[in-house]
Amino acid sequence: MTVEPAAQTERKVYSVSGFNRGIARTLGKLPAVWVEGEVTELRRNAGWATVFLTLKDPRTGATLNVTIARRTFDRLGLELEKGETVHVAGRAELWEQQGELVLRATTVERLGVGAHLVALEQLKRRLAEEGLFAVARKRRLPRVPRAVGVLTGADAAARGDVIATVGRRFPATKVVVCETRVQGRGAPESIVAALRCLGSHAEVDVVVLARGGGSFEDLLPFSSEPVVRAVAACPVPVVSAVGHEQDTPLCDLAADARAATPTAAGALVVPDEQELRAALEGSRRRLGLAIRTLLDRDTARLARTGDRLHAAPRLLLERRRAALDRSGARLETLSPLATLGRGYAIVRAGGRALREAGAVSPGDALDVELASGKLGARVEEVVP
Amino acid sequence: MSEERSFEELQRELDDVVARLERGDVPVDEAIALFRRGEELYRACVERLQAAELRIEELSPTDAPTA
Repeated sequence: MTVEPAAQTERKVYSVSGFNRGIARTLGKLPAVWVEGEVTELRRNAGWATVFLTLKDPRTGATLNVTIARRTFDRLGLELEKGETVHVAGRAELWEQQGELVLRATTVERLGVGAHLVALEQLKRRLAEEGLFAVARKRRLPRVPRAVGVLTGADAAARGDVIATVGRRFPATKVVVCETRVQGRGAPESIVAALRCLGSHAEVDVVVLARGGGSFEDLLPFSSEPVVRAVAACPVPVVSAVGHEQDTPLCDLAADARAATPTAAGALVVPDEQELRAALEGSRRRLGLAIRTLLDRDTARLARTGDRLHAAPRLLLERRRAALDRSGARLETLSPLATLGRGYAIVRAGGRALREAGAVSPGDALDVELASGKLGARVEEVVP
Repeated sequence: MSEERSFEELQRELDDVVARLERGDVPVDEAIALFRRGEELYRACVERLQAAELRIEELSPTDAPTA
């Protein structure tokens, strides 16, 4: 085997082994690096000198084969499981026989709290920039939900606390429980599926994420991107009751409300029945009072109208009489009879009132009307 | 009284009816109709509170529509 090309015409041709060895040598000059990935495969056999791992990039799905000496691996005492995120230190290596690239690891570390925190902080910033945590997105919780959805793990305490609180405050409702895997491998997918399930339930008007306390790692699924997005996208409001007071998983920021404990969440999602009954009784009292006030007012108005109706004919008559009297008085002032009363007389010739002396001649007959009685007379002299 | 209306909607309508009656600017026929409606709403709300015991339904996430 040789790295030198076998001379054949002018072409440089390598044997497969030659090529592999050449690449292997070049790769061997690369520095040692740290690689982060999710363990998707782990093969360890007590009879083998090497442990084989496959790492996956969770964002792109790209994979990488990793080898590590079994003794080194066992000394680490990691008890790794598939789905865990790890940091691997090592160098690139080519298996010459298969031409296969591997990362020859010198050590493997389970992703520590520190590294998780950095990743979380980055995710938080990215989702915040996207507006997923905006106050404007928060929805008002229904005051009286038809049913309360509860997403819970096998954690009997958290589930029991929510149900007990809801049942004590407002037994006239319904609780729809969806139990699912909330920690460990596959938890984010299970939580997303359960949320979708509860969110599409016909009666569920609000969902509570009921997960009691747990270690930082145990609560990590509630900070995973798919879960945070599913909370924000849930068709009904979500109350997050994950972990304890001091924990703030990212799902809290995307939820519409946050409760410090599952009990507090139960109190948030249903009203107190006693208060509700008191409010209803109050409404009924006001209803009765309002109609009574209205009817009393109308009765009084009716009575007044009745009085006016009875008084109307008399009033009308009086008004007419007064008008008549006034007309009479006016008529009287206009009447010639009144003038005659004051000593004037009407002189008529041939039945017509006489206005000019020249209209008659001496000897003509005249009628003289006085206030009382008439005179027959004759013209003696005319002075025009 | 339709069954699909939520308690919240019924209670809100009751409050509206009370407020309108209290304003007092409704003719008497309408006032009586409003009062009757209010009583009906009150009874419907109280009925909803009569359920003796919390109902619990268990759901499996496999029931979820896979999307």
